[in-house]
Amino acid sequence: MKKLLTVLFAMTLIMALAAGVATAQEKSTLEIVQERGTLIAGVKDSVVPFGFVDEAARDLVGFDVDICRYIADELGVDLELKPVTSSNRIPMLTDGQVDILAATMTHKMERDEVIDFSITYFMDGQKLLTAVGSGITSYEDLAGKKVGSVKGSTSEKNILDVQPDCEVVSFEGYPESFLALKQGKVVAMTTDSVILVGLKGSDPEPENWEIVGEAFSIEPYGLGLPENDSEWRDFVNFTLIKMWNSGDWLEIYNTWLGPDTNYYMPLTWDMEIWP
Amino acid sequence: MNEKLQDLKIKALQFAERYKYIVYPLYYIAIIFLLYILIYQVLILRVFNVEIQYDLDYSVFLRERTEGITYLELLLTGVWTTIKISFFSIIIAMAIGTVLAVFRLSRVVILDVFAKAYIELFRNTPLLVQIFLWYYASDVFLPGFFTDWFYQQTNIEFAYGMAALATYTGAFIAEEIRAGIQSIPKQQMEASRSGGLTFIQAMRYVILPQAFRIVIPPLINQSLNLTKNSSLVMAIGVLELMASSRFIFDETFRVFEALSVATLIYMAMSLLISLAINMYNKYFLRYITY
Repeated sequence: MKKLLTVLFAMTLIMALAAGVATAQEKSTLEIVQERGTLIAGVKDSVVPFGFVDEAARDLVGFDVDICRYIADELGVDLELKPVTSSNRIPMLTDGQVDILAATMTHKMERDEVIDFSITYFMDGQKLLTAVGSGITSYEDLAGKKVGSVKGSTSEKNILDVQPDCEVVSFEGYPESFLALKQGKVVAMTTDSVILVGLKGSDPEPENWEIVGEAFSIEPYGLGLPENDSEWRDFVNFTLIKMWNSGDWLEIYNTWLGPDTNYYMPLTWDMEIWP
Repeated sequence: MNEKLQDLKIKALQFAERYKYIVYPLYYIAIIFLLYILIYQVLILRVFNVEIQYDLDYSVFLRERTEGITYLELLLTGVWTTIKISFFSIIIAMAIGTVLAVFRLSRVVILDVFAKAYIELFRNTPLLVQIFLWYYASDVFLPGFFTDWFYQQTNIEFAYGMAALATYTGAFIAEEIRAGIQSIPKQQMEASRSGGLTFIQAMRYVILPQAFRIVIPPLINQSLNLTKNSSLVMAIGVLELMASSRFIFDETFRVFEALSVATLIYMAMSLLISLAINMYNKYFLRYITY
């Protein structure tokens, strides 16, 4: 017992003598990325059409991925993609494992207290996905029924705010929730309407599903950025505005959500532009 | 003077021995406190100059999530669900385990083979895989009229979770009960058979009552495992303790507070069960002789 304590003391003294001074250097993420030569972006890997694995090309593609690629090209660095989920995206950013988050993340005030957001790069609303002929036309019909949602998203709280009588079943990811809807275990599924469009479009029989109801919450998507990093945030915002002004944003939008794709969503919104 | 010191020393040791349930924990607390001072305060704060920037905020539990429900109530709902699912699953698992153990010991080959196959299948696959199979894959095999009625009921996720946990733990319990039964001397079975009882009657009236006294500690160990494994059913949407604390830190970002409370609650449940084992061992098993 005494020996153990003596050993502990000795170790402490040795470490005290050998310790250097730990300096915390405040470097902007912009410099870190440029030095590293790679932009590490956190994207979703199972949300069509924002971040998903293309079966033919076998890599991560999507709207969010293209936005990150544009920012990486602006910087002149390579792009490395890291898959994230709704629950672990913010911890991955605050830990420093990713430099930027493009993961269908709604810009919410409580999230803004922990991380920073870019300007809105996509505007969406929350709706319901049900089977055709189920009789659900809006959230009022959900009283006493079961609704599927995903853990860590804004959808589960919003549906409880507008319809406290429903039973919300929260799954780990959107595909699991959609599978439960297909098997009839839940009568509707709720999340951002563009994700619903993606799920419906990637189903083998899209005509069996319909997206109903008007948007009962607004979901402005923002890119997640590390807190208090003004240089990096300015750079990302200027790049987004440049993307909009040059028409590249619209091009990327039409690639994934345009009239020629399975996931057509008409564009009804303008990005905020600074002169 | 030295004699008095010796006397005092002996008295102190005797005191510590008598009240060891209090004195030994105090020793541990003192050592942990000393380590805390050494490692954290001296080494990390003073020598390496690292400050941990995190404001502990346990009042987050009193915040409202939706209409009139605080996070604390959400957490307590989760605790109650965990207790319910563990309790019912362990009862069903013990029933399944007993039946399988008897199958394994009978001389009818089909029952033996069936029990062996069941045990190997359910012990060698991960519990999460089994939970997903029960929830999603069972839809393929169930008849249409049953699913039409069943899916309208509330909380079918609870039922599926219970089924998965019970069948998984039942396989482990079967092996332990079989080991317990085989530890009863063979003469008991021979004596009861020659006394005129059938195999089943011998099991029910002679062997199993004796075996259960031996087998209860491993059984309680399995229920401890089941309580901790019940956190996996959150993957299919059951609102139990782990899922509730995930909601709390997903929405408020207070990860440390939420997880520390969840850890303490799981530890408390497990320690209560362990305390039951220790008391059982002390008071009942000292009479087991062969």
